[in-house]
Amino acid sequence: MIHLFHLYKNFGPSIALSDVNLRVHEGEFVFISGPSGAGKTTLLRLIFGAERPTSGHILINGINLNRISRLKLDLLRRKIGFVFQDFKLLPAKTVFENVALALEVTGERRSLIRKKTRQSLKLVDLVDKEQAYPLELSGGEQQRVAIARAIVKDPLILLADEPTGNLDPDLTKDIMVLFKSIHMKGATVVIATHSRELLEDTEQGKIFLNRGRIFGEK
Amino acid sequence: MRLRLWPYFLRQALANIISNRIVHAIGLGTMVVSLLIFCTFLFLLVNLNVWVGEWGHSLTMSVYLQDGISEAGRGNIESVIRSLPGAQIRRFISKERALTEFRRALGSQLGLLDGLSHNPLPASFELVFNKVEGKKVDARGIKQDLEKVEGVEEVHYSEEWLDRFEGLMKMIRLVGFIIGGLLCMGVLFIVMNTIKLTIYSRKEEIEILKLVGATDWFVKIPFMLEGMIQGIMSGALALLILFLAYLIISTERMHFLDLAVFDFVFIPNEYALLIFLLSVALGLLGSFIAVGRFFKV
Repeated sequence: MIHLFHLYKNFGPSIALSDVNLRVHEGEFVFISGPSGAGKTTLLRLIFGAERPTSGHILINGINLNRISRLKLDLLRRKIGFVFQDFKLLPAKTVFENVALALEVTGERRSLIRKKTRQSLKLVDLVDKEQAYPLELSGGEQQRVAIARAIVKDPLILLADEPTGNLDPDLTKDIMVLFKSIHMKGATVVIATHSRELLEDTEQGKIFLNRGRIFGEK
Repeated sequence: MRLRLWPYFLRQALANIISNRIVHAIGLGTMVVSLLIFCTFLFLLVNLNVWVGEWGHSLTMSVYLQDGISEAGRGNIESVIRSLPGAQIRRFISKERALTEFRRALGSQLGLLDGLSHNPLPASFELVFNKVEGKKVDARGIKQDLEKVEGVEEVHYSEEWLDRFEGLMKMIRLVGFIIGGLLCMGVLFIVMNTIKLTIYSRKEEIEILKLVGATDWFVKIPFMLEGMIQGIMSGALALLILFLAYLIISTERMHFLDLAVFDFVFIPNEYALLIFLLSVALGLLGSFIAVGRFFKV
């Protein structure tokens, strides 16, 4: 499903990723861990096609992101849910509109958009706040809106960058249950985290990154 | 692009206009002024053409006869004139009558004619031409033909200056095209900048749209509609203002000038439609260029 070959990414003189080779199979649940600045976010952004590698190849479902057209990349992104570390919610749109945005771009029927958006908000327990604006919500609630938007389109791959960073332990557990239920439905889930508690509490696959290199897998 | 997306695009375009209303109002105002300058120029050009055309309807001509021409010679000239298509002899002015009229015209300055030993004024025919089968009278050709007739001294026609005016009209048309072209470029520039500003104000939203899988066209179309709406509004407003100004000028003329000859006409419907479509097209093109440049970055 996700296949990385000799992946390098530099930002000017600084090396973010160096010779990363990785294979995540369809339906796998994987944590990418490492300290801050290890390259976790860069790795997820490369898999998502938000960044281009300096060298190396990324294959998603057999499609090489280096050779994909702009339009095909847009269409591929519709199959990938991404929970951003900084949420990337639109402050001028309501919670409902923010979540619905991921379906609106696909040209779905409005009735279906409404139905799926409500379902998604129900999963993250935010139905009662659907008319609120992001800035009226707590950090944890904003995080859940971002998760709702990532899962509303039933993605084949779910990438999450520190999805529990702003949540208390109880909510963290709830969100992890939610990720696992999405995984149970067949999605491939890749979560980047530096939370040791989260890693100790799980039996899923773990990849350790440090200074842009993979130094261990479990 | 799916049909069901268009209401979304339109909503988005209107929302953009509302949230960036000041930028749009400034852009719209500038566009209206530019189009209005162009419309006014066109309006004046159309009216000049009409006036020139109307004067061509009632061409008058004076055929001056040589001194001492015989009755037979005069009769011959008269028959030549009568054979001209559309020509009517309004009157014949003898030498004596010409002098009498001249004296009357001089009024208090009559003393100027003191010491005049003979009557220097020639006898003449005064002609009026009406259009034949809607064709414009070829005054210059008739003048040349008549001057070849024996006994004719000289021919003058009232609209001789119209020929020179034709050259001036050509010049005005050329200037009009240049001004029109420059104004079109100006309008294009205004739309491009207005849309560019609204794109920058929505940069964050565009980034998120792209991250959730929006195609380039999904993001571009609302901006292009925005430019088109600006074109529609500015075209309609410029034409409306021109029409109101035309109504005011038409009534004011009756009060101040009272010259029935100078009736104003509004620009023809096809010209108005052309200006409107041009404005819409410029709005669309300006926004197309603006979004194209943004997505290249």
